Amino acid sequence: MMKKLTVVLSSVLALSTLLAACGEKQGGDNTSAGAAKSGAGSSKIKLSIWHNFSGDDLRAKAVRAQIEKFKQANPEIELDAQAIPPDGYRQRLKTVAAANEMPDVFFTQSGTSIKEYYEGGLLQPITPLLDKYPDWKNNFFQGAFDPLSFDNKVYATPLSASATSLFFYNKSLFDKYNVKVPKTWDELMAAVKTFKDNNITPISLGNKAAWLAQSSILSSLANRVTGTEWFLKAAKQDGAKFTDPEFVQALTYFKSLADAGAFQQGFNSLDNTQMEQYFVQGKAAMMIDGAWALTNMAASGTKEQLDQVEVTVLPAIPGGKGDPNTISGGAGGGLALSKNVTGKKLDAALELIYTVSGPEGMQAIAESNSLVNYNVKIDPAKVTPLFYKAYTLTQNVKFTPVYDAVLSSAGAEAINNGLQELLIGGKPEDIAKKLQDAQAKSIGK
Amino acid sequence: MAAASRLRSFILVGLLPALLLYLIFVLVPIVWSAFYGFYEWKGIGAAKFLGLANYTEALRDPIFWKALKNNLIIVAASIFGQIPIALVLSLVLWKSSWFHRFVRSAVFMPMVLASVVIGIMWGYIYHPQIGIVNYVLDKAGLHSWIRDWLGDPKINMYAVCAPIIWANIGPYMILFIAAIQNISSEVEDAAKIDGAIGYKRLYLIVVPMIWDTIKVAIVLCISGSLKAFDLIYVMTGGGPAQSTELLATYMYNNTFNIFRYGYGSAVSTLIIVISMSLVLGSQLLMKRK
Amino acid sequence: METTTPTRATTGEFKPGAGFGTLFKLLRRVRSWAGNAFLAAYAVATLYPLIWLFISSFKSNQDFFGKPFALPSTWQFENYAKAWKVAGIGTALGNSVIVTFLSLALTLLAGTLAAYILSRLSFRLKGLVMALFVLGMLIPIHSTLVPLFIMMKKIGILDTYAALILPYTAFELPVAIFVVAAYLTSVPKEVEEAAMIDGNGYWGIFFRVIFPLSVPAMATVAILAFLRFWNDFAFALVFINKQALKTLPLSLAVFSDGFGTDYSLTMAAMSIAVIPTVVIYLVFQEQIMKGMVAGAVKG
Repeated sequence: MMKKLTVVLSSVLALSTLLAACGEKQGGDNTSAGAAKSGAGSSKIKLSIWHNFSGDDLRAKAVRAQIEKFKQANPEIELDAQAIPPDGYRQRLKTVAAANEMPDVFFTQSGTSIKEYYEGGLLQPITPLLDKYPDWKNNFFQGAFDPLSFDNKVYATPLSASATSLFFYNKSLFDKYNVKVPKTWDELMAAVKTFKDNNITPISLGNKAAWLAQSSILSSLANRVTGTEWFLKAAKQDGAKFTDPEFVQALTYFKSLADAGAFQQGFNSLDNTQMEQYFVQGKAAMMIDGAWALTNMAASGTKEQLDQVEVTVLPAIPGGKGDPNTISGGAGGGLALSKNVTGKKLDAALELIYTVSGPEGMQAIAESNSLVNYNVKIDPAKVTPLFYKAYTLTQNVKFTPVYDAVLSSAGAEAINNGLQELLIGGKPEDIAKKLQDAQAKSIGK
Repeated sequence: MAAASRLRSFILVGLLPALLLYLIFVLVPIVWSAFYGFYEWKGIGAAKFLGLANYTEALRDPIFWKALKNNLIIVAASIFGQIPIALVLSLVLWKSSWFHRFVRSAVFMPMVLASVVIGIMWGYIYHPQIGIVNYVLDKAGLHSWIRDWLGDPKINMYAVCAPIIWANIGPYMILFIAAIQNISSEVEDAAKIDGAIGYKRLYLIVVPMIWDTIKVAIVLCISGSLKAFDLIYVMTGGGPAQSTELLATYMYNNTFNIFRYGYGSAVSTLIIVISMSLVLGSQLLMKRK
Repeated sequence: METTTPTRATTGEFKPGAGFGTLFKLLRRVRSWAGNAFLAAYAVATLYPLIWLFISSFKSNQDFFGKPFALPSTWQFENYAKAWKVAGIGTALGNSVIVTFLSLALTLLAGTLAAYILSRLSFRLKGLVMALFVLGMLIPIHSTLVPLFIMMKKIGILDTYAALILPYTAFELPVAIFVVAAYLTSVPKEVEEAAMIDGNGYWGIFFRVIFPLSVPAMATVAILAFLRFWNDFAFALVFINKQALKTLPLSLAVFSDGFGTDYSLTMAAMSIAVIPTVVIYLVFQEQIMKGMVAGAVKG
């Protein structure tokens, strides 16, 4: 018995070494043959595209469908499309970037993310594409290209809009307790008190992941107090600092919500899905969350529950420098183009980008219950009612920057952790200082 | 001498596969990574030589020390939690009866589950509103004991140790069982005649005979605790406010979220150095015994 | 332990009156009964997460969030079919099997050989070699991602099975070596000497004597290694590009889009992934126990 086992094991060992060697050789042969082929400029063009739309949700399916369309329409192009789970996407992309092995076309978030690739000299602008289709270009919202452009050249077009601070509220709870939908901060605090007195959690919060409070609440709240201009200056450390009184005041406003007991117990250990659950089940009256909540709630709430949900903007702050009719958000991520793509491959890559991000793609994405920064006519029958409410809202407001899209990654980390600390009793001045130090250091000031 | 050279060639050829694989795929990357620690590198673009700046920065960062403290808490919990429990269980569950097999498999089961599942499960057990722990406390009238187990920085590190211990008893138990069965039966019989039962048997006979295995178990414990990542990452992400930050999550954040490869590599190297010292220290301590 | 020796209890050192004898027997019985009950309760409690996983896999998302601990209101068997399709579990399962088993074979063979040499033979650089192997156990694997990636790219084995098999084995070797070595130190020297007298060279000793003897230790290593290889995410994520080669943990990750997770499908997929690990564990633990039954311990 033992002998047999040994024989089996050793042959498996031999076999595996053989396989490994074979695999290596084959890999080697393929790449050299492939290189020779594309060098000669003949037969097949090889194109690679990486993205993180790998799930079963409607938007992912829409994006993959567009890529498939391109593949079908272009049989002479060998397309390697990788749908990588979002959990590992950044990690994988960064690893190949470090080894200088970027794919030809890849999806990247706007703001700091794409900026890092740009500063590493890995991208080229997609200007030729925009010039080729001017109607398409002009149909984007104003400012849609800003977080994806450098030096006045556009490097990607947004595949979807990000709207991170939607103010959701439960209409039936508001009606039941006769509470006015708050338009100012004082009205908000009054609403909080009323709900608390009646044992309903005023605002649902789940900040385990730390970016939620920053992206959804602080970005908008701080903007109402400080205005956009101040924020952009502070991020660049050029004429403003995060230790300035207006930012500290913004943090204090946020803290006062926590002090008033507006959030449910244990919010620091709940993630955003659990927070959305809590709200959609009618256990909380309000929730400040992003557009992703629309899909999440649709997946887990019943029709009756969803019908109670309404959406508006965050209340105004008295004396604030920011425009109250705004939502933090803006352009979401888009498809960027690697610098190493040239010649015929470049033409193919541009067309691929157009198939996914062009008018057809935009329509498909919008109808998958995702907001876009593009003028589309949405047929209400094709989308969920809640999405339609949100969509109408975003047509009438302006966008303000989301903190973690503008701050450096170190700065974003600092404010994320800082907010968690603030909510469990930290001091606004301390948090402000931490952010100031982290941001200044990371941009070399 | 022919015999000596035969021995030498056997040793060489025998160690070769393991050493070769290990050298190429483990040692070289470790050294490489330590090397990165001397640079400021974003992963993209040029790297700037910094000398020891990364290392000194890490050693001066209060979060680094907090993470180290948290890791040490896990080390202590593991050594004093997992190993004794595993030892006792291995002594009690040695029979091949149906019942014993069932209990052994149950004890081992958590190892089989992916960390994500364990993390989600315990997240729900500790859930502030609908979790079992708070529910039981509430029904038992112990309202003052109700806490935000994973969110309260004063206790969450300890709360997190419970699933860690619980999930990792299995391998040690198996390790000890395999070692115990190796104790020759003569020794066993001799001990019985001398009247050693129960605890006496444990101390005087079993423990000394499997001392080497216990040493290995402790090394595995220490190295595993200092590398701990998965469970904490899923349950708390190192928060809130970095109260449950571990060395490995700290390193991971700096490498893949903030993209300071150089700094992250420096932290990794420090982790290795600290682990090495702890392991050596523990081996020395145990040698005297 | 006391339960197996009723004869001892009555013929042991204590020899009080007959009445006390039966009292002690009774007490012992109660103690062991209580002990067993406690063990049973502990076992059930520990098995609960596995049960929870299976129950959750039949729930819809609403159910999962609304009542995480209750039974499903409707049993959604289709979760499994859907998860299988969406995650491409068929291919992933096949790949995981190939990668895991090859790595396992390699680890056991190379590891046991090295363990034998390091535990029972002495040579000059032995201490250094052992220390080197300890080093490998201490490093968090995420820090080796970038160097390994660059290196494997240079060698040209990226995107093949070898890209996973070789690092997996290499990282598991220290554990394998230490476990088997510790086990081998308790094998008496006479065994080797007897084999030598029988005219075996070192290779003979190893394959005919040591290898079979180490089965319980190897089975332990096999279980631990299997789990590590089967559940690895980080290496599989970064070193494999082709969809056709992706392993199970990767296929499980498709259900979360970064902002929310489809738990019903995730639980179903995980239930599928868990079954082989349970089977392997049961198979290998038999190997460990076989050594026990073979006349060794009679506590």
